[in-house]
Amino acid sequence: MYNNMGPQPGMPMHQGIPQPGMPMHPAIPQPSPFGNPFSGPGSGLIRSGLGAYGEKIFGSSSEYVQSNISRYFSDPQYYFQVNDQYVRNKLKIVLFPFLHRGHWTRISEPVGGRLSYKPPIYDINAPDLYIPLMAFGTYVVLAGLSLGLYGKFSPEALNWLFVKGMVGWFLQVMLLKISLLSLGSGEAPLLDIVAYAGYTFTGLCLAVLGKIIWGYSYYVLIPWTCLCTGVFLVKTMKPVLFAEARSYDSSRHHYLLIFVALAQFPLLIWLGNISVNWLF
Amino acid sequence: MTKEFAVPPVDFAGGSTAGANFQQRRVPTAPFQPPRPSSVSSSIPFMSFDAASAAASTPAGPFGGTIASSSSFGGGGYASFEDEEPLLDELGIRPDQIWKKTRSILNPFRINKTVHKDSDLSGPIFLYLALCLFQLLAGKIQFGVILGWVVVSSIFLYIVFNMLAGRNGNLNLHTCTSLVGYSLLPVVMLSAVSLFVPQGAGPVRFVIAAAFVLWATRACSNLVVSLADGGEEHRGLISYACFLIYTLFTLLVIF
Repeated sequence: MYNNMGPQPGMPMHQGIPQPGMPMHPAIPQPSPFGNPFSGPGSGLIRSGLGAYGEKIFGSSSEYVQSNISRYFSDPQYYFQVNDQYVRNKLKIVLFPFLHRGHWTRISEPVGGRLSYKPPIYDINAPDLYIPLMAFGTYVVLAGLSLGLYGKFSPEALNWLFVKGMVGWFLQVMLLKISLLSLGSGEAPLLDIVAYAGYTFTGLCLAVLGKIIWGYSYYVLIPWTCLCTGVFLVKTMKPVLFAEARSYDSSRHHYLLIFVALAQFPLLIWLGNISVNWLF
Repeated sequence: MTKEFAVPPVDFAGGSTAGANFQQRRVPTAPFQPPRPSSVSSSIPFMSFDAASAAASTPAGPFGGTIASSSSFGGGGYASFEDEEPLLDELGIRPDQIWKKTRSILNPFRINKTVHKDSDLSGPIFLYLALCLFQLLAGKIQFGVILGWVVVSSIFLYIVFNMLAGRNGNLNLHTCTSLVGYSLLPVVMLSAVSLFVPQGAGPVRFVIAAAFVLWATRACSNLVVSLADGGEEHRGLISYACFLIYTLFTLLVIF
């Protein structure tokens, strides 16, 4: 379903640029995600071209590993093609998703005969990894600051906060991944999911900053953050889910999306509660 | 078929002939002992392993002679103590360059990038030790913590810069660590200053700390962007990463 044009025999294959699911068409199940050149009509040509080494190098197991690796870890360079303006606008979308008037689908463009998504500079809806990374770092620093203001700062406590943030990020990724898996084949690139999960740290930073500035604002900012993150994730996952899903069972989709939004509340309250012992 | 050895008479209180035999046996005989000139007889026994250099270097004193003789035992090496390289040069530590680089960070408004072109790690190690010393004076033993954080933050900056700069990013880890280390100078000064700021002045400490953090951020991001390609259009993004790094170190200092 990533490759609407079928397996392409002659094409070098290792970009791993995330493929579109055009949200309007029903998904056509394809045999393999990236049009593997080593199976299908042209494979014999390639193998004979490589002579005796063809079978050895492109034996079935390495083929599996290669296509799987390029499937799971799409090229990280794509996620860092950002600039100042993108960062500013994306932060506005993540923190105030109600105000985003445009559409939420990613723009795809034909690249070398296949469809791929435009990089983040050109498309405000594309995920990037710069903002989640910086938001995570800001969360750790702000959490350390808030610990220090209550007199409980120590480097070990900061390390535990880092671990807690990582666990929270991992749980968010699991949440999104499981909801994708339970509906469809879960073939969205892992780094996409990691990026979407990391956007929650921006709202969290805002909540922690509010807690530092004035203690009671925390009780207003945390529900606001949970709501905004829920709305953002729902609006972003909707096109992805509808593209991934094999069967059209829209009520199940909606229940899952509502579950994703509601699960933000305990997760963000746990992450926002900054104390020395990291479990609670 | 045992050989018969001439066993010396074990007679400690013995007469002159037995004593002379015993004395002769006590003289050390090295396997490749060249004939010793009599001038060396006053020096330490183990210098006798190489007579030529020992004779030439006895004017230099016992230690120099010792080094020369033990180093030239392999046959060849340095002829004398004066021909050896100075210790700091051998280690690659150049104090004048360290001082020049450190002085260039002192001015936050004009960054001199030519002096930082060849990166070295000895200046950052010196600054790291200074920071640990000031923290120690404040009662916090954080040697390992600061070292670990320096390493992790330089790897972080390296990854972020090269990812942002894309295909033409050419910052290498050695340069990155060197720049992060040198830009720790404001943090070192902050830790020295905060030893004297009274504990109760809350907002004042934060304002001073904020000023030093901004100084370090400006220095580091300017240096990184000017020394490696591909960073010009991402200056703001990179300086935010540097800001996070130095805020982290400042947390250690002020809390």
